[in-house]
Amino acid sequence: MPDKTITLSVTRFDPDLDPEPRQQSYEIPFKDDMVVLDGLNWIKTHLDGSVSYRWSCRMGICGSCGMNVNGTPKLGCSAFLRDYLPGPVVVEPLPNFPVVRDLVIDMSSFMEKLSAVKPWIIREQGAIGTGEFLQTPAQTEQYRQFSMCINCMLCYSACPVIAIEPEFIGPAAIALARRYELDSRDQAGDERLRTITASDGIWDCSFVGECSAVCPKGVDPARAIQQTKFDSTLGVLLPWGGK
Amino acid sequence: MSARETVGRRETGLGEDAASVASTGGREAAPAHPNRLPTDWWRRNPRYVLYMLREFTAVPIAIWMVWFLIEIGRARGGPAGYRPHQSLAFVIFSVVCLVFAVWHSFTFLRLSGLIVRIPLGERTVPASAIVAGSFGLLIVATVVVGGLLTLGGR
Repeated sequence: MPDKTITLSVTRFDPDLDPEPRQQSYEIPFKDDMVVLDGLNWIKTHLDGSVSYRWSCRMGICGSCGMNVNGTPKLGCSAFLRDYLPGPVVVEPLPNFPVVRDLVIDMSSFMEKLSAVKPWIIREQGAIGTGEFLQTPAQTEQYRQFSMCINCMLCYSACPVIAIEPEFIGPAAIALARRYELDSRDQAGDERLRTITASDGIWDCSFVGECSAVCPKGVDPARAIQQTKFDSTLGVLLPWGGK
Repeated sequence: MSARETVGRRETGLGEDAASVASTGGREAAPAHPNRLPTDWWRRNPRYVLYMLREFTAVPIAIWMVWFLIEIGRARGGPAGYRPHQSLAFVIFSVVCLVFAVWHSFTFLRLSGLIVRIPLGERTVPASAIVAGSFGLLIVATVVVGGLLTLGGR
């Protein structure tokens, strides 16, 4: 083992054996370019093959390796160990999701919320596959930032409203709904808006703003939610308001 | 299969996905651990603390507003009925409430450029213009209301 080491304190939970999750410490070699995910992979390869966690691309694109690092939701592949020296680095599963095993969370509630907002282009005339539906760069720019979401669920973990109201549709799903609301090719009208303005929708948000602060892709879900609040209010107050 | 549907097949460290980890080969799956934020969640992060402080400052502002409404109600009977509280403690309380109210107004209006979206052809009105307009309206409203309160009663 190299001279320089760092300790990772990793949450362990086997639902068949453990009544509660517990922390287990591992001392691993430290290199300046190592991220938390590298540390977990080193543990799995050299120390303990039973440690469970999700990962895939290792470059902040797939959104699989979301985890709590020293209390803050992060992508394991983007959290450099050097930023947590001298350690220990506490690695926990994302809060607000049931833990299936170790760092693996059950994301089914998120997937249901995501599909509930109909995150696809809805057309009244001419299905999207039937031809070209041109869009100018300025029209694309209207929704571009909301389309950068990688569904990593860090925003759900940072949101205290989700902790209190688990049925709240949540930041990423509403940001995605906003992305399609702002798409010039979309003709959903009220169809999608009804879902996100209903109970458990935008009005549950108390604008803590942490969802936007933790987003690894620079998406601003808090902005999407407040914009939707404003637009839906105008839609009620003014006959020409709304979209 | 759409991109979103592939999410369920992502790798885990064991080469299994959550569904297969939870699978117990016909046995009833062991319950997952509900992993909620603790009740002291707001102490974990300076931004959470600031959020809670800002929310809390609405309480003294609300108390002051109720007091103000009561005073206005008393004034219905004419100037003789108007008896504003003039103790030093209330003046200090009022100044503190004013600071809180200005903080609320500033932090709210500062974000108006991100929230208010006014279409302008294919584009939207720049955020800076909306923020400037919001603060301008606040100043105008303050002058008008202040004028009514200080001059209108004479």
